[in-house]
Amino acid sequence: MTWTVVTAAVLVIIAILGGALYRQRRLNQNLRSQLEAAAANLEKLQQACSRLAPAGVVQRLIADDVQPGTGPKAERKVATALFVDLVGFTAMSERLEPAVLARVLDGYYQRMSDAIDEHRGQVGSFVGDGIVAYFGATQPNPWQCDDAVRAALAMRAAIDEYNGELDREGLPRLSIGIGIDRGPGLAGLMGSRDRKEYAFIGRSVNIAARVQALTRIHQVDILVTETVRDDLDPGFVLVPMPAEPIKGLTKPVMTYAVRRRSTGREPAVG
Amino acid sequence: MASALDHVAWEACLLDPRRDRVLESYARRKMGMPVPSIRYFTSVPWLARALIDLHPEYGLLMHLDQHTADVLTLVVSQENSCRFCYAAQRALLWAQGMSEARIQRVEQNLSRADLVPRTVAAIAFGRSQSRVGPAGAQEALQALRRAGFSDDEMKEIAFTVATTDFLNRAFSIPAIPSRPLEQMPEQMHMRLLRPLINRVLQRHRFRGRATPLERLPSYPYVRLVKAYAGSPIAPALGQTIEEMWASSHLTRRCKLLMLAVVARGLGCQVCAFEVSEALQREGLHEPTLTQVLTHLDAPDLDVLERLLVRFARDTIWFEPAALQRRTRGLRDYLSGPQLLEAIGVASLANGLCRLGAMVMGHS
Repeated sequence: MTWTVVTAAVLVIIAILGGALYRQRRLNQNLRSQLEAAAANLEKLQQACSRLAPAGVVQRLIADDVQPGTGPKAERKVATALFVDLVGFTAMSERLEPAVLARVLDGYYQRMSDAIDEHRGQVGSFVGDGIVAYFGATQPNPWQCDDAVRAALAMRAAIDEYNGELDREGLPRLSIGIGIDRGPGLAGLMGSRDRKEYAFIGRSVNIAARVQALTRIHQVDILVTETVRDDLDPGFVLVPMPAEPIKGLTKPVMTYAVRRRSTGREPAVG
Repeated sequence: MASALDHVAWEACLLDPRRDRVLESYARRKMGMPVPSIRYFTSVPWLARALIDLHPEYGLLMHLDQHTADVLTLVVSQENSCRFCYAAQRALLWAQGMSEARIQRVEQNLSRADLVPRTVAAIAFGRSQSRVGPAGAQEALQALRRAGFSDDEMKEIAFTVATTDFLNRAFSIPAIPSRPLEQMPEQMHMRLLRPLINRVLQRHRFRGRATPLERLPSYPYVRLVKAYAGSPIAPALGQTIEEMWASSHLTRRCKLLMLAVVARGLGCQVCAFEVSEALQREGLHEPTLTQVLTHLDAPDLDVLERLLVRFARDTIWFEPAALQRRTRGLRDYLSGPQLLEAIGVASLANGLCRLGAMVMGHS
């Protein structure tokens, strides 16, 4: 009798334990699937973020475990700023249907961004039809001036190729103006508490934008300042332009039009 | 097993595997089990041996605890987005008996603030060295010192980080396939063999013993090797550097130019000085060197040198897939062994330069 009771009790205990174990395993499975779903969401969010900021910057923010409302400290750096703008955009925007205009602009932004990425620059922001890019702002880059000018030449080639496509579709051709300057500034995540973006802030960014405007006066597409010229590979063919006053600077600014790279000795790789 | 680097784009492998019984058995003897990835590196034996000999898990660390070394390898591989090394480290932790859940907890903990200060400082050091390089070296060293690490431990931390930087590049640039390692824990036969693998690994992962330094390499980085005198790291490092110089797929001048470019890109004055001295001994005039370092080009360079100084620069900061695509373009100009040697030299240059700034700066 006693043995029967004991056996029954043991069986009951085993059944209870088995039940608890089963429930715990289901709970664990449930939690694991929730964790995996959260990880997948995070991954999607990261991919979405990479469309809004340079991928390197997104990676860095994640690695630094940056909390909302805070950011990594801004650092003083010497970087090269490149400003590219569409020439005659306003007139074109009035002639084209909004959907067609948006498609043409997307193609332009993509090609310009690819040229910047390819030459180790970071797209800072899109300003209307203009793009601000930095070289040497996120990571040390002693070759930043050469990179920026190579990117500008790649942009010129990309626009030529894009114009071929636009011609075939009967759409107006695009032309660009590019200004490049180098100087010290503050690099980091900046903005209000609710909205921040990675930026490089310094006089060189303003000068690059204003030098870009001079491309209309000098009838050229790529202009660099004297500071950039001094650091540039002598293989680039430059043509000096007459000094012009620009807003914010007391003295007229000497600029140089970039024709091409002369040597042609480099094998094309990548 | 889902890993933090599953999303990292990874091109098809650039190299063809080639069997070499001598190197394969060398790897098996040192690591205790077959190392299939070594077949991709057999056409450049010094590189294949370096991947084994400089691995910090096998008899090189005397002072640093194994857990910190494991965490550092994981962190640096994550920083460099090296799917192969990250998968290898995860597979190692799994083989040692860690469950998937525990490995994921280790990964999650890497970014949490409730770790012990020593681990936090070591992780911060690994990240800073991979991300900033020599520019942040002194600040990172001070943080290690404040966390209570001894000088010997700090040197071993620097070595673990630098050698992981080297290994990450050596496996990332040619896009060595990572799937076999990533899938390992899901394979039934590997699960059954896990206890055996763990025992074999335990036998082969041993603490380093004091080792006299018998011979110094004849080229730059002698000071770096000397800084590790007495540690088994010194002969391993010395032999790798010596064999790298002796290998003839690329000229010494070409290798030195690649080292110089990496030193310049990382802003390491110590390395730049040693390398430029060696280049002058090779007959390269100072104006040419200055032009190469300032513009990655000079009229005196031959086609191969011109390509490889640019390639060396690309290996300093990189995204794997983009670098793998660029490197694929080099195959039209270089033979297989030349390409692999270039990958090895650039990878080693990145490791040595980061190590040089740390150790020579502080010793």
